[in-house]
Amino acid sequence: MLLKLAWRNVFRQKRRTILTLLTMTGGFFLSSLSIGWMDGSYSSIIMFFTNNRTGQIQVHHEGYLEDPSIYSTVNDYQAVGAFLDSIPGVRSWAPRTYSGALLAVRPRGAGSGNVFSNSAAASVIGIDPVMEEAATDFSDRIVIGEMLSASAADSSYSATGQIILGKELSIILEASVGDSLVMLSQAADGSSADRMYVIRGIVSTGNTDIDRNTCYITLSDAQILFALEGKVHEIAVMTHSLGTVDRLTGEISTALSEKDLETDSWKTFAKEFYNGMKADEASLKVTIFVIVLVAAMGVLNTILMMVLERRREFGVMKALGTRPGFIIRMIVLEANIMGIISVIAGGILSTAGLLLLSSHGLVMDPPLSYGGTVFREMIASITPECYWIPAICVIITATTVSFLPALKAAHTKAAKTLRTV
Amino acid sequence: MTDKDVIVAEGVVKTYDDSGVPVHAVRGIDYTLSKGEFTAIIGPSGSGKTTFLNVLAGLDTPTEGKVWLSGKLISDMSGRELSDFRRDHIGFIFQAYNLFPVLTVEENVEYVMLLQGVPPEERHERVLSILEKVGIAEYAGRLPMQLSGGQQQRVAVARAMVSRPSLVIADEPTANLDSKTSGALLDMMRQLNEDTGMTFLFSTHDEIVMRRARKIVIIRDGKIDGKASSEEIQ
Repeated sequence: MLLKLAWRNVFRQKRRTILTLLTMTGGFFLSSLSIGWMDGSYSSIIMFFTNNRTGQIQVHHEGYLEDPSIYSTVNDYQAVGAFLDSIPGVRSWAPRTYSGALLAVRPRGAGSGNVFSNSAAASVIGIDPVMEEAATDFSDRIVIGEMLSASAADSSYSATGQIILGKELSIILEASVGDSLVMLSQAADGSSADRMYVIRGIVSTGNTDIDRNTCYITLSDAQILFALEGKVHEIAVMTHSLGTVDRLTGEISTALSEKDLETDSWKTFAKEFYNGMKADEASLKVTIFVIVLVAAMGVLNTILMMVLERRREFGVMKALGTRPGFIIRMIVLEANIMGIISVIAGGILSTAGLLLLSSHGLVMDPPLSYGGTVFREMIASITPECYWIPAICVIITATTVSFLPALKAAHTKAAKTLRTV
Repeated sequence: MTDKDVIVAEGVVKTYDDSGVPVHAVRGIDYTLSKGEFTAIIGPSGSGKTTFLNVLAGLDTPTEGKVWLSGKLISDMSGRELSDFRRDHIGFIFQAYNLFPVLTVEENVEYVMLLQGVPPEERHERVLSILEKVGIAEYAGRLPMQLSGGQQQRVAVARAMVSRPSLVIADEPTANLDSKTSGALLDMMRQLNEDTGMTFLFSTHDEIVMRRARKIVIIRDGKIDGKASSEEIQ
């Protein structure tokens, strides 16, 4: 009877109920879309960011992140790599060395003499072409020329090496594929690290800051040049899923801590990027709160009107011996019926909207720059959070805003109401 | 109070506060209603008859005095006790019918039994039986708005009687009905009174009700001004 009464009462004033349902459904839809958009955008940003270069997890010598030094190395990196390969959930890994150097370009047609024109300081990253290809999208971002050759890297140490320049760095140096440059630096053993290179490719990672001051050579080349045989500074680890990153970080960290190695997730080694995302999340929560508040006002207005219009009815119910609890339950149930209908309708609408946004995405014109990385298309993702968070908000809102009017209705004075209404 | 008495009221006073001004609606009434009576309380508008009826029904508490209903002192009961007591012992018929608009005739009549926790089969049987008695069984599945005023008031009578209360209280039950419908309704109620022995107490200033009442209580200015049989009034 309670459900029957509540259900039929909801549809007594069809027009008003439909308007309220539209408000609540709209609130659900907007909240759901915002969450799906946020999750999808951040997931794609994180995947783009981490797949591009950093990986989701990194292994370094203890203290390297706080104080990067050429001497802080992962010594037996092949053994660490073998351990990483044994962990389910790890997709691939890529070893790297980091150092700095001065680059000077020999202009084309300058002959064989020591004539160099433009120069610039740059970070030199040693990468294993095969492992980097398996782990990151690096090779896909080469815009001119080609990826470092693995066979050349494995061959004997030739007089001239191969190098890839960041796009902005190539502009500063006025250098292009096929040009020669000289690299001047110092090795870990204190010796001079000088070498000639031929530019094999230009890369645009999407992060202009990095592309302005970074060049890439093969890992084997870097290890010989900087006297780091068998050593690397970083192992970037790729996982199958973002959701497993924290757990895997913990597992790897526990296993490697005895080797003076530290393991961090992207949330730590890309702290600024992560904090920026968290700040955006907070502003989105405020948006969702405002949406829920507007919907709540609509529901409150409807429930108050319903209670006011039915004062005589509540008086009759009380006269017939209905307990206050019955009336409270009935009104709260009425609000919740509207809430449940809104959740179902909102769920259907949200699914359609999210499917559209997750399959087609939204082209960012102009492109969005986030943490120095440029994004041209953002897509939504469909997660359980897109449904249960708005659903809980709607149901809690319906229950909360209906409770006070219900309490008022339950304490209607039968004699007074029947006399005055 | 004897076993034959349904209501005993002693020195009932009811004073309202109307925006700081005390309104003395009932000014010390002693009254006894016996089982099986079919009594009308009459009096001009504002005489206090509805207030007195509300106090007797436990809808309002007296400012002074005591009221016993079916041997229980209801004037001292808590709100919850009164609510349960009304549910089990009093049937109400209102001037404006006051049926639940979203429930069918059958569901309206069933409502109080549902609060009482009567099993579904018994509820169904009793509803059909009382609807037959009041002559609207064929409208069991209709909503109140699909019925005429007279038919709605018959549903209200059925709702008041179906739970077999000690007392049926009717406040101006014919005020919204034409004379022919009023007469038919009162005849039916009187027949039910004779058949079931259920006690009926009305407030009215409708002559049709007065003519059919077996006893009349006259209230004027919040006091009982006289008692008479229907024949004496006529």
